[in-house]
Amino acid sequence: MAEVTKGTRIQPSVGVKQKKLSTKSNLHGWLFASPWIIGLLVFFAFPLIASIYFSFTSYSILQPGEFVGFQNYHELFKDDLFWKSIYNTIYFTIFFVPLSIIFGVALAMMLNMKVKGMGIYRTIFFLPTLVPHVALAVLWMWLLNPGFGLINGILDMIGLQVPNWLGSETWSKPSLILMSLWGIGQSVIIYLAGLNDIPEEFYEAAEVDGANWWQKTRHVTLPLLTPVIFFNLVMGAIGAFQQFTLPYTMTQGQGTPANSLTFYVMHLYDNAFKFFKMGYASAMAWILFIIIMSLTAVIFMTSNRWVHYQGK
Amino acid sequence: MKIRGKKVSIFNLTLFLIFSLVLTACSPEESSGGGNAEGTTEITFWHGATDISLQALKKMVAAFEEKNPDIKVKMVYTEASEGADQKLLTAVAGGNPPDVALFDRFKVGTWAAQDALTDLTDMAAADDITEDIYYPYAWEEANYQGKLYGLPYTTDSRMLYYNKDHFEEAGLDPENPPKTVQELEAAAEKLTKKDGSRFKQIGFIPWYGQGWLYGWGWSFGGEFYNKETGEVTANDPKIVEALTWMADVAQKFGVEDIAGFESSAGSGAMDPFISGQISMKVDGNWTISAIEKYKPDLNYGVTPIPTPTGTDFTTWSGGHAVIIPKGAKNVEAAWEFVKFFGTEEGQEVYFAELPGDLSVIPTVNEKLGRGDNPMLKQFIDILPNSHSRPVIPEGQLMWNELVDARENTVRGKGTAQENLDKATEAVTKALEKYK
Repeated sequence: MAEVTKGTRIQPSVGVKQKKLSTKSNLHGWLFASPWIIGLLVFFAFPLIASIYFSFTSYSILQPGEFVGFQNYHELFKDDLFWKSIYNTIYFTIFFVPLSIIFGVALAMMLNMKVKGMGIYRTIFFLPTLVPHVALAVLWMWLLNPGFGLINGILDMIGLQVPNWLGSETWSKPSLILMSLWGIGQSVIIYLAGLNDIPEEFYEAAEVDGANWWQKTRHVTLPLLTPVIFFNLVMGAIGAFQQFTLPYTMTQGQGTPANSLTFYVMHLYDNAFKFFKMGYASAMAWILFIIIMSLTAVIFMTSNRWVHYQGK
Repeated sequence: MKIRGKKVSIFNLTLFLIFSLVLTACSPEESSGGGNAEGTTEITFWHGATDISLQALKKMVAAFEEKNPDIKVKMVYTEASEGADQKLLTAVAGGNPPDVALFDRFKVGTWAAQDALTDLTDMAAADDITEDIYYPYAWEEANYQGKLYGLPYTTDSRMLYYNKDHFEEAGLDPENPPKTVQELEAAAEKLTKKDGSRFKQIGFIPWYGQGWLYGWGWSFGGEFYNKETGEVTANDPKIVEALTWMADVAQKFGVEDIAGFESSAGSGAMDPFISGQISMKVDGNWTISAIEKYKPDLNYGVTPIPTPTGTDFTTWSGGHAVIIPKGAKNVEAAWEFVKFFGTEEGQEVYFAELPGDLSVIPTVNEKLGRGDNPMLKQFIDILPNSHSRPVIPEGQLMWNELVDARENTVRGKGTAQENLDKATEAVTKALEKYK
């Protein structure tokens, strides 16, 4: 469709007949796109706009509720668990996103080496991504079991003081970050594609100039990988703010211990579907939207300082 | 240009064909949906049963259809628990709910307050269905503000499981399990084995398994809600006492951080009680079936949850109800089905297939010989004294607040009194808008 419109635009001297055709083919274009457009309007745009309105009401899904102005927002700012969930979410994002980039890039570089059987290694590192979140939660809960888990067993054998992982307030979030890092295969694939995109000539040139491995990594690989890192940073931050499935299944929705694993979206979900406070939950959703939007905007604004595109 | 025009029309044609295919594929189902050929009514029945409970449900439905030839039941599987709630919620909100659904009784208060359930009071009265045949707590949990919103069917209860082999090893009498909380604490002390900082065997964790504050609060003689005044009383001195005791025990044995172990509460063969890592735990009757399945030779016993005095044993129970969502199309036929499943007739057929499950009707349990299983008998014997959680619009909030209060107290973040005051205040405040 894009090509057709482009074609008609390039020709300035179109006859009446052709103009007719272009409107007609435009019509066809819209017609073919209509399932998607209708879906977008009905199932996405409308609920999106409606939720702005709902955030000012006491809507409960089953009851239309009343218009309450900014009351939901007022109450939110007084809700201790709301602040706690924001803290938890930001904590997770700040640690998880950079770590996932560091580990992701490092893994991708290792998996990009010319070694025999690389396909097998790549598969092994990608496999955890295929594990459903619920299964992942159960698996790690057993590995991290403070009393009888494998990890503490090993740590104890070499004489280290063992943390209680998911049982302790201090260690529960680091444990979750650890578990999440296990599933970074997806971003590793993207980094790998990015690495393959870097032309061999740059390395050859660097070698001719006598650069060592570190200099090549520092001045060729990393700068040319920044567009991919940029992409993963934005997507990772958005994903981290929406952390839900893993902690929810792991704690049966309770965010235990002591709400240290109650993330923003978990609190939102509870309000919407368990406490029937859809208006309140809509207000939360919009606050989250504003947070994510501004964060993404900040990342985008800084991007032209550190993101280097090839051929620019 | 001509060619292009032709192409478009071919596209249109294929599109048309695909659409008509989809439509024809849909239409037979549409026409059977109404289903009143020759005066029969079809009711839609949402359930989350799989495996043997599905078999039991099918038998029960078959028995119902045989008795009511003019009603056909269309069983629709909706995943259990949370997902089903969301589906039912959207179906009710969208005005297209099923005629009958299975529903966690715990949520009756919340949903009734949202006007999402059909009031069954008059229909039950007309058919002479009264609370007399049920355990009192079960009937209570199906009623909200004096009106009946469902008929209960399943139930459960919670007891103290203890490992008899561990008792013998520790020099305790396996035939004389702890009755008072002091005895329980003393037994836990003997049963706890540590190797440096690591547990080799944990005697007891008060909140492990089903050791919720609800159970301990009632066992200590507390009351969480005043039905007469509608007041939340989660800070009842007896409940404060129960929570203080839980926190003390936790600190004494250094198990406050073992909650991770609790959340990893392995199902099946990994269950720490089954694998012998924990000697005593509070859990529900379903654990009997799990032990039978994964470690039939486990030498264990069950006893009522200890109380401070060693008398007045109690427990709490949950379970499901059969409900008619608000806006159901065939309420009359649906009621016939609810009535059948909610009373002796249907329950006998249903529970005959599920030997580990308990009915809310004492005579059904009796008739099916549930008491013949010495373990299960204990769970049944306590049912007449059991409690159900308060039927209030904010039941889930109260649950969460009580979990938070327990967590915080056990971890030394505030005293039991402070945390329970906070929980009481939060639930009271949330209940204000329903007054």
